[in-house]
Amino acid sequence: MIADTDTLSLAPGVAFRDGQLADAVRGDSWPLNGSGDFVLRRTGRSVGQIVRELSDTFSLPLETARGDVLRFAWHLNSLALVNVKRQGPLVRRLVDWALLAVRLAPAGAVPVALARRRALDTRSVLRAVSSSLVATLSRVAAIAAGSTVVTVQFSVLSGAPGLVLPLALGIATGVGLGFHEAAHVVALRGVPSALVTRGRRTYVLHAAVSPSRRSVVALAGPLAVATLGVALVLGGAALGVPSITIAGCPLAAHALALTVVGGDGRIACGL
Amino acid sequence: MRALKAFLLGAVAVGVVAYALVAALAVTAQAGGRALEIALGPLAILSVTHGGRSTVTTFGPGLVVLALAGGLANLAAVQLMRRRSGSPGDRVD
Repeated sequence: MIADTDTLSLAPGVAFRDGQLADAVRGDSWPLNGSGDFVLRRTGRSVGQIVRELSDTFSLPLETARGDVLRFAWHLNSLALVNVKRQGPLVRRLVDWALLAVRLAPAGAVPVALARRRALDTRSVLRAVSSSLVATLSRVAAIAAGSTVVTVQFSVLSGAPGLVLPLALGIATGVGLGFHEAAHVVALRGVPSALVTRGRRTYVLHAAVSPSRRSVVALAGPLAVATLGVALVLGGAALGVPSITIAGCPLAAHALALTVVGGDGRIACGL
Repeated sequence: MRALKAFLLGAVAVGVVAYALVAALAVTAQAGGRALEIALGPLAILSVTHGGRSTVTTFGPGLVVLALAGGLANLAAVQLMRRRSGSPGDRVD
């Protein structure tokens, strides 16, 4: 959901000039009509303010202007061309989300998640890895924390002592995502790319590449992390430390993304 | 070629995951001093036995069968998805 207090900003790699919206990653541009041009000239201001100015300038009823601005913002955000910066206290946003979820529940729907696009630097392997890890850091931390909490529950229920194993599993689960995306980005060296998160999905948006390179890029993520997982499993077995071996399992599970179960696997299988 | 690729990817994926899980179980059993046997019908997957001061861990042929089954399942899924998506509009037979 987009609130009146939220602000719009052009996503990294997206430029607005001469009435055109240009995406350096897709290598494409789109002409804008008068209203679109009006809204995008006001990025950085709150949505509510843009709505009021659109209403005043084009003599539109406030609700019509609000509908137009929100539809336009949603459409650009769904294409990862515009980021929506949430403003206001987190608790208030959570309450608003919960209220909307309750209203949508009878229709069997949940509020649509906003997309967020982050910049990636693919000029060198080092830059690719570092920019990718920075872009995924918040998500990695959230997944690691969530996985640790879930694992602690099972650990307590099974009567296993200590926090080492839940922590190792949680960290491995989170770090796996970071390394997975980093490996994709390394395979995209020299190709304009951006990292997009939408709800539980995380993906790398990139310029068109040849079909063979597309396969290599798709395979790089799961293969790199699964290899790391197998190395941890072997290392743990050699040292006789179960927690290291178990921590390798969520990383090794990335291998399943090589199959049709995952988007990477479907690309690699030519689907 | 595409069929072979789908089969190999499925086999590698399931093989790696199965090996990691089985190895984790084996190391945990070893550390706990417990014996463990996992089999797929008559095919052994893992066997951890303790004899005196030594522990013997054996990975059986069941792991290979699991990997092959994964390859076949992925191949079947790819064929099914291709059939359901229909023939591409820019191709004539």
